[in-house]
Amino acid sequence: MTSSASKRLFKEYKGLSSDPPEGITAGPVTEDDMFLWEALIQGPEGTPFEGGVFPAELKFPKDYPLAPPKMKFLVDVWHPNVYPNGEVCISILHPPGDDPMHYEQASERWSPIQSVEKILISVMSMLAEPNDESPANVDAARMWREKRDEYERIVRGNVKKSLGL
Amino acid sequence: MELSHDLPDSTDWIDTSLPAFEPLEAALRCEVCKEFYNNPVITSCSHTFCSLCIRRCIGADGKCPACKSACQADKLMPNIAVREVVTKFQEARSKALELARKDKEDSETSVGARKRKVEEAELDEEEPVRQTRARQTRRSARRGETAGTDDAPFVILDSEEEKDGDYLPEGMAKCPICQELMKAHLVFDHVNTCTGEPGDRSTRSRKPSSFPTALQTRPKEPTPPTSRLSGLNYAMLTESALKKKLRDLGIPSTGSKALLIRRHQEWLNIYNSNCDASDAVRKSKRELLRELDEWERTQGGNANTKESYVMKKDFDGQGHAMAHKSQFDDLIANARKRAKAVQKSEPEGKTTREPNQEPQQQPHVDQSTTTQAPHPSTAPPPADAPAARPYEHNESALSTIKAKVDEANRTDSAFPSLSCEKSSSNDRAAKEAEMSEETTLGFQDPFRSPSRKVPMFALPAEPVCDVDSSTAIQ
Ligand SMILES: [Zn+2]
Ligand SMILES: [Zn+2]
Ligand SMILES: [Zn+2]
Repeated sequence: MTSSASKRLFKEYKGLSSDPPEGITAGPVTEDDMFLWEALIQGPEGTPFEGGVFPAELKFPKDYPLAPPKMKFLVDVWHPNVYPNGEVCISILHPPGDDPMHYEQASERWSPIQSVEKILISVMSMLAEPNDESPANVDAARMWREKRDEYERIVRGNVKKSLGL
Repeated sequence: MELSHDLPDSTDWIDTSLPAFEPLEAALRCEVCKEFYNNPVITSCSHTFCSLCIRRCIGADGKCPACKSACQADKLMPNIAVREVVTKFQEARSKALELARKDKEDSETSVGARKRKVEEAELDEEEPVRQTRARQTRRSARRGETAGTDDAPFVILDSEEEKDGDYLPEGMAKCPICQELMKAHLVFDHVNTCTGEPGDRSTRSRKPSSFPTALQTRPKEPTPPTSRLSGLNYAMLTESALKKKLRDLGIPSTGSKALLIRRHQEWLNIYNSNCDASDAVRKSKRELLRELDEWERTQGGNANTKESYVMKKDFDGQGHAMAHKSQFDDLIANARKRAKAVQKSEPEGKTTREPNQEPQQQPHVDQSTTTQAPHPSTAPPPADAPAARPYEHNESALSTIKAKVDEANRTDSAFPSLSCEKSSSNDRAAKEAEMSEETTLGFQDPFRSPSRKVPMFALPAEPVCDVDSSTAIQ
């Protein structure tokens, strides 16, 4: 006996394991709970995140995929679209009903036909191209706009820190 | 392999001789639940989903999940053609998959032997008197691919003909009920008296029945679906009035008003989607109540407990853990290699925010190309590289890490410090010694550990130390 949510999560997990997108690994933390996943995302090349591997956790609601999961980095990620507590704020993680970022197109937001894979790929591309229009981390957004050098230095510092350097 | 039997999905076709069936099967599955369409319905925007899936989506935000246009539950229409295709595909699936797997295996194990077989088959094909154009074309085409250009003028790669998998000799037809081959003009008479024998291959009588087979020769007239339930204006109903409605429907009436509403909505979804089912699979109210109970336990009033226990029996957790682990390892190993390159180019003791660290990205890239470390995203680590499995050797690191993480959690800091303090090499050596002991947690077997949270963010912190040691050893 299991819910349609965990069945679907399981299928996604199977798909991600058998054909993982480049630079992304994800799966449930334990076999006993399909609703808590962990993911590792590689920093995209050609960005200050390059060379880093960023662990994150994904928490899925019981009515997944009607509602999206929440995603949170487990290391420092200095980025306009990542809250200081690590929570990721991008359009695909927002259900169509709620729109904290008013510029968002409904089509970019969560829908039950989206997937964990699409989220993680979106996050990877978010690392490469921040959206500073309605930032989760105002300071990081300002620095990204105005002092790119400093921004990149901090990011590289975090990369090294996350690798224990 | 066993996995795919337990949890069939479209990827099962990838490693067979029919990889084109992968997208075909994916197209027969609902995009919301990833299962084969169950009671498919089409929306006013022409998208198809399981009836229950789209009803739940509409309940959540009133929109089509595929195109985001507004959708109404009462505009949904059963998509009968899709339903039939899905049913027939499912009936054919396991046999087809079995053959396609076997075919792939055969062709891999003995390519030569197989070629011989094909040639024999082609010789045999010269014999039969009845030969349709389809068959000739196919044979010629095959020869054109393998044997050369002798038949070139006849090689017609007609895709229509090639798709003709169900070859029928000219003038012959199959009874749609018993699948028996017979002269075409006899089929219509035969169908009227067909008993479904031999082998009871009739696809129309899916469920065993006690009726004499003669009575089943014609599919029974479809009974009109039971009429759908309509929604309630919850705002206009008091809690007790709502309770009475639920009791009248025969569903549980306990809980807060919010829960009563959610339960009623789910009941409408379950009940109305059953109205979109074909007669053959329409469920009894008893079964529907069981489904509501399942919802109650996973999402409704009794949904506090964790679940997915089922998966244990269906799922080779160990196998997946291994696959999963090696992916994690690859990521970590790659990052670690680059880190190693970075570290070589960097004087010891530097803190992360020092300004003169900026130009460091260049040297780091150079180094990683001059050492044998592959670029993380272009190549997997070489199997014989010492760094390929960094955690195979430092498994005891986890105890140290765990302590660190516990500490971080205890102080409730949002950011457990992951920095491994740049200490003297003596300290590092000590740490490494510690690390070379047992480690069974985390990446070794993610599914065994109570939570991989610990290794997840602790492991990336430690490789540095290991980097140093492996550098030293080399
Ligand atoms: Zn569905
Ligand atoms: Zn649509
Ligand atoms: Zn018709």
